[in-house]
Amino acid sequence: MAFTLVVLGSVMGGPQPSGATSSGGSLVIGSAVAPPSLDPTSNASAAIDEVFDYNVYQHLVQLDPKGQVIPVLATSYKVSSDGLTYTFAVRSGVTFSNGDPMTAADVAYSLNRAVNPKSGYPYQSLVADVSSVTAPDASTVVVKLTHPDNQFLYNLAAYSNGMVLDPAAVANIATAPVGTGPYMYQSQISNYDVVLAANPNYWGPKPHLSTVTFRYFSSPSTMDSALQSGQIQVIDNLDNSQNVSQFKNNSSFKVIHGPTEGKIDLTLNNTAGPLKKLKVRQAITYATNKQAILKTVGAGYGTVIGSDQVPGDPWYTPSVNKAYSYNPAKARKLLAEAGYKHGFSITLTLPPYGYATTAGPLIQAELAAVGIKVTIKNIAWALWISKVFTDHNYQLTIIDQVEARDIGEYGDCGYYFNYAGCKQVLAMMNKATAATTTAQEVAYFRAIVRKISADAANNWLYNPDQLTVADKNVVGLPGSGLTESFNLSYVSFGGSLPKQVVSEGFAS
Amino acid sequence: MLVALWGASLLVFVVLNVLPGSPAQVILGTQATPQSVRQLTIQLGLNKSLVRQYLDWIGGLVHGDLGVSYISHLSIGSQIAQALSVTGPLVLFALVIGLAIGLPLGFAGALRNGRFSGSLIGGLSQIGMAVPSVVAGLILIIVLTVKLHVFPTSGFPGWSDPLQALRALVLPAFSLGLVEGAILSRYVRASILEQLRSDYLRTARSKGLRVGQALRRHGFRNAAIPLVTVLGLELASLVVGAIVVENVFALPGLGLLLLDSVNNRDLITVQDTAMLVAGTVLVLNLLVDLSYRLLDPRLKGSS
Repeated sequence: MAFTLVVLGSVMGGPQPSGATSSGGSLVIGSAVAPPSLDPTSNASAAIDEVFDYNVYQHLVQLDPKGQVIPVLATSYKVSSDGLTYTFAVRSGVTFSNGDPMTAADVAYSLNRAVNPKSGYPYQSLVADVSSVTAPDASTVVVKLTHPDNQFLYNLAAYSNGMVLDPAAVANIATAPVGTGPYMYQSQISNYDVVLAANPNYWGPKPHLSTVTFRYFSSPSTMDSALQSGQIQVIDNLDNSQNVSQFKNNSSFKVIHGPTEGKIDLTLNNTAGPLKKLKVRQAITYATNKQAILKTVGAGYGTVIGSDQVPGDPWYTPSVNKAYSYNPAKARKLLAEAGYKHGFSITLTLPPYGYATTAGPLIQAELAAVGIKVTIKNIAWALWISKVFTDHNYQLTIIDQVEARDIGEYGDCGYYFNYAGCKQVLAMMNKATAATTTAQEVAYFRAIVRKISADAANNWLYNPDQLTVADKNVVGLPGSGLTESFNLSYVSFGGSLPKQVVSEGFAS
Repeated sequence: MLVALWGASLLVFVVLNVLPGSPAQVILGTQATPQSVRQLTIQLGLNKSLVRQYLDWIGGLVHGDLGVSYISHLSIGSQIAQALSVTGPLVLFALVIGLAIGLPLGFAGALRNGRFSGSLIGGLSQIGMAVPSVVAGLILIIVLTVKLHVFPTSGFPGWSDPLQALRALVLPAFSLGLVEGAILSRYVRASILEQLRSDYLRTARSKGLRVGQALRRHGFRNAAIPLVTVLGLELASLVVGAIVVENVFALPGLGLLLLDSVNNRDLITVQDTAMLVAGTVLVLNLLVDLSYRLLDPRLKGSS
């Protein structure tokens, strides 16, 4: 494998990392979806963030694998008492991988690039409340908001809006990305691989590996074989959780699992036929055996949920998860009360993802048991985006809503759930994000969590774990999927991790 | 041929542009606002009239400019060249394996027609045809790489070391070639049998030639005409088969490029790749036509 990487490096003319910057070694990580582009600021694909976020690009503040906001390119930050002004002390002595020094002006440039309403950043709407970003001196950046937003730091850490770019290199962002992270972009073969090399100019603890290659497999069984034959050393996230059995009882491999931000939902189009009625939506929820679905589809790795929430959310409300425990008799009763004594027919549209195509037939059988006849329709991802997401032309679908803290979607009346309570939720959201004490913030968000659950706005199934499988010698992989980045800062072959790093959630 | 190519370009363009799924929406994902989608559509030039978009594309093609992918921002020409450096050798390799299996088996099947060994060959080729190359590939992966570590399971190291590159192509080429060999052997067998039963060959044998001699002097050239036609068609189907096999072996070829581009709604890349495949098939057909004239001198006079 080392051979392969050297060859690629010389073909592409990429810089070769010197032995001095790392203890060496080349790691190959298998993954399912190839990044369609190298530019995370113009494309929402999570596959781009997985490779580039935190590894190549860094933010003022980032998330550790436990989902906590930690300062990175900032050394500290202050929030004014009215919640409108954020003052960041920018780390000194940081250089981009091309040798350019990073200054507060570069940070301000990057944030302004995202904030611009015409920026084209996929998550621009999350920073639409920023009124100005300035760099009053060489080591300070000041961000002013139009109204208080207690999610600002989290969003800055979690999404591409917060990436710090080199203004001198931004023209080639799609072909030659430049950042301040521990690794730098070396080469790619589109749809096949992306190679990162240790950044010799890195300001922090030197990365341990000389190169890390992400290689993409459209066939999961080929990827599993590649790990078993030693061609790759890591699978970032098993596409089909059931396949974990072949690695779990094999001492050559380790299985690392931890929560993601995902919510696998049986999404209900709240304006489609019978689904308009609350009792019908509740009946569907009562008819679903979430534990059984988690056990079969997720091989038991995950947490059953009852609203748009995951255990990592500050406002996580476990009691809501038990609100609709499996009860087919009650489901039948609710259907009868809603006027559907003999059930009805409905279509379940499935995107081409393993969790959806596995869960689909289970749901079909469970709903059939209470008299709802489900027809399954499988469609391609681009079609899903166009028909289900954009045109709202669907009745039921199954999707992993992967974005972190996205409960605000229930306050968006144009969103594809067509949820009738959207206006009320929007008002509640505005109050919740403007809260300046944590206790208030949590209380307001909990009210939203309860409201959408009571309205059965969706049938939330479970919060899936990220299931990483690796050669037993690989140390320092992220212990969860709470960040879109597959954070490689501490990965090495063998050795032990500092206590601090373990406590941030990296797997030893 | 130019008319056919033009027709193909029109068909490819129309089919792809009625395909639902806006590229801008796919790029921006599920958190995009309608405004940002509209803005990106304008930026990508997808708000222009379809006629205009078609003319822009075809104009570029005529000048040898395949354009730049609006998803990856990479030159499509270099992406296709990279993909061809895998798919081209893979298809040729598979064809060589197919011929190496199909020709001898076909001959043997024809010459031993009616005997047990002949029926056995017929049966085996029937089975070979029935096995999809995907299944053949997966079986080869499990036996030869996971269990025995003889070949790499998947991936492609590039051509800077031709030996390693060929090693990576062995399994994919075999999973394509085995099936191809089975198909070819049946055509070869049928074609040779037909010659064996023909009057001219009986005449040749009555002159005292043995079967082999008669075939060599008179039969081969006649048997070759239908075979060349089949070979042309099969080469085209190998290109299609390669698309599937590349998927199984994670090879960065034309198939992977085409599949991922369709999924990402990278329309111009799909259009260019489809045109390349269409062009290749047309050129192959032309070569087949030309080869008839070499094989059958009677056709020379007729034109």
